[in-house]
Amino acid sequence: MRLVACDTAALGLGMTPGMALADARARVPDLAVFDHDPQADRQLLEWLADGCERYTPSCALDPPQGLILDISGCAHIFGGTEAALARDLKMRMRHHGLTARVALGATPDSARAKARFGVRTINALPVRALDCDAKVHNALERAGLKTIGDLAGRPRAAFAARFGKDCGRRLARLLEEEDPRITPRRAVPVIRVTLNFAEPVARTQDVMAAITHLAQQGAILLQERGEGGRRFEISLFRSDGHVARLAVDTGTPTRDAALLDRLFGERIDTLSDPLDPGFGYDMIHMTVPRSESLVPVQAGLESKVDIKAEKAALTDRLSVRLGPERIRHFHTGNSHIPERAAFERPAQAGLPSTSWATPQMQEPQMRPFRLFDPPQPVEVTALLPDGPPRQFRWRRHVHLVHSVEGPERIVAEWWRRPAGHEPGKGGPTRDYYRVEDSEGRRFWLFRHGLYGETGDPRWYLHGLFA
Amino acid sequence: MNIMTIHPSPSSGRTGLQYQSEKTQRLLPIGAPLVDQRLQGGIAQDGLHEFFAADHSDATAAAAFAMLMALRLPETATHILWVSGDKERQASGRLYAAGLAQMGADPARLLMVQAPDVRDALRAAADGIRSKAAGAVILEAQGHARLIDLTSTRRLVLAAREAGVLALLVRGDAVPMPSAAITRWQVRSAPSLPLPGNVPGFATFDINLLRHRGGIAPFAARVTWDHGDKIFHDAPLSGGLSASSAGGTTDPELRRQSA
Repeated sequence: MRLVACDTAALGLGMTPGMALADARARVPDLAVFDHDPQADRQLLEWLADGCERYTPSCALDPPQGLILDISGCAHIFGGTEAALARDLKMRMRHHGLTARVALGATPDSARAKARFGVRTINALPVRALDCDAKVHNALERAGLKTIGDLAGRPRAAFAARFGKDCGRRLARLLEEEDPRITPRRAVPVIRVTLNFAEPVARTQDVMAAITHLAQQGAILLQERGEGGRRFEISLFRSDGHVARLAVDTGTPTRDAALLDRLFGERIDTLSDPLDPGFGYDMIHMTVPRSESLVPVQAGLESKVDIKAEKAALTDRLSVRLGPERIRHFHTGNSHIPERAAFERPAQAGLPSTSWATPQMQEPQMRPFRLFDPPQPVEVTALLPDGPPRQFRWRRHVHLVHSVEGPERIVAEWWRRPAGHEPGKGGPTRDYYRVEDSEGRRFWLFRHGLYGETGDPRWYLHGLFA
Repeated sequence: MNIMTIHPSPSSGRTGLQYQSEKTQRLLPIGAPLVDQRLQGGIAQDGLHEFFAADHSDATAAAAFAMLMALRLPETATHILWVSGDKERQASGRLYAAGLAQMGADPARLLMVQAPDVRDALRAAADGIRSKAAGAVILEAQGHARLIDLTSTRRLVLAAREAGVLALLVRGDAVPMPSAAITRWQVRSAPSLPLPGNVPGFATFDINLLRHRGGIAPFAARVTWDHGDKIFHDAPLSGGLSASSAGGTTDPELRRQSA
């Protein structure tokens, strides 16, 4: 077993990562050792990254121990200088008992190298900061080129020819000549509005008031862009570094501040574990990760109710409260299998299908009012093996069949099966019967499989008619 | 709670729960002449109506009858909101849009809400009634539901009257409890008139008016649904019974009152 990481005190005692545990114990018998848990390390890093979104929306993980923040244009909130931002970050990390090395650089690579090697200037970085092969590092050091500063003045073409294009590019990035953008861990939102508090707020009413304010600001920004948001997120930054996120989705693009206010109020009311403000929130963000174009429309002269808008508002409201998958529309499926011919989808996901078969005037209903999914097994007695049912037992109740229509034969979708085109491998055929029992209840039964297709076909109840 | 903010309109005042006179009431005719005659025109279009099943296997009939009553509303762009719970879906399957289309409904105008419990279902129904998007709101809550009582149904009644929305409460095989609904019906699936070849015919129901806030006497009738014209027709009762008074004996609440 080996040491993976050491704290400052251990480093002071001469421990280094990679050292055998037995050696370390021999030197310091009462060494405190914990199992390496990469998962927990990763989670801590993610948690820190969440907290760092108070500084910038663009934040990337640099496992195992680093975070890269793109703070271009973000420093004005912290007194205008990057150094003030870095100080604030360092202080917050210290409050959590973490030692942070913060470095600023024009490119992610230079900042990262400076933080990792604890130097202030790029020129002072050792050649190991290139992060190339060990062979390259050795070769450079043997040639007397110990620091990046030594390399910086030399002709770049010869360097690239000797050690490869990749090393040349790494050098350019370290020297802040080439700027690769970082890939943020969360998509950078279209719109972000922020509210800072000198004193942390803890009461829900105050939080709601802040959300109202942010919603109004966001609405103005959206209006300038001619857009409406489809998803709104509130991030509540607790002063101890924890971040709570609330999100609402809307079915149609919107920038109605009053509506957002209501939706967020609904969202907070329905949280399964209520907001825990702890010592209060010192910053609240609202972001709009998803937006679509929304052109202002002129209202009609007559005061007609806009049913589409009313319906969208109702759908959003119920979706926020109960969950989007509980508010549904009907859709037609491209299939003749009954359970696939009509299905439900969340109402926020899109408009319902409008192409439904119109009823036949003289025909009674051929499809049931309600469908069981999965079908319910029933015990059926029939006069002939492949004849219509005479009586059946469902939910411990025997129904005598009074009149019957059928069979309506529905073949399985053989093309979905691996060898479905071969005889007998297409899946069992269903014979549907519309049945009325002696008490006047109407059922939809089917026999799963023809005689000959399967040995002993089972019967199922698939639906109930009005 | 948002429901708390519902107030009766000022005009209804203290008599807010009284059945209003016919002049101010918009009535929704069922279509079957014998029934409409009994109802003196139809059921209130802006009120709450309850549908009970005669037997636990008639829960589907009660639900279907409520849906068909919603389809009786004049064609507009408004939606029909169907609110049910996890329990109902588990017990009696899902609404089948292909079947609904054959009953005369436009599935594109239906909005399904599946609430986790009765409390959420009641709230969703109240929201639906107050939203101008819904022309009819159907709340399905089968079995014993303590939350559906005089108070919660009164809220629905007041909201429905204010919004002018048809509110229908499908109670399935529940035992009738005191409620503020304007009418209470018992629905049973009835044998259809067989088509040639002894084929099951059109949807037929035995409906039984158990109580009416306007004082209309209870009666029983058999109606059959015509999906082409979206109208109910009178169907002959089996055994030669005509649409006659069946008494209120099946309604425990009424029985208690008369005792």
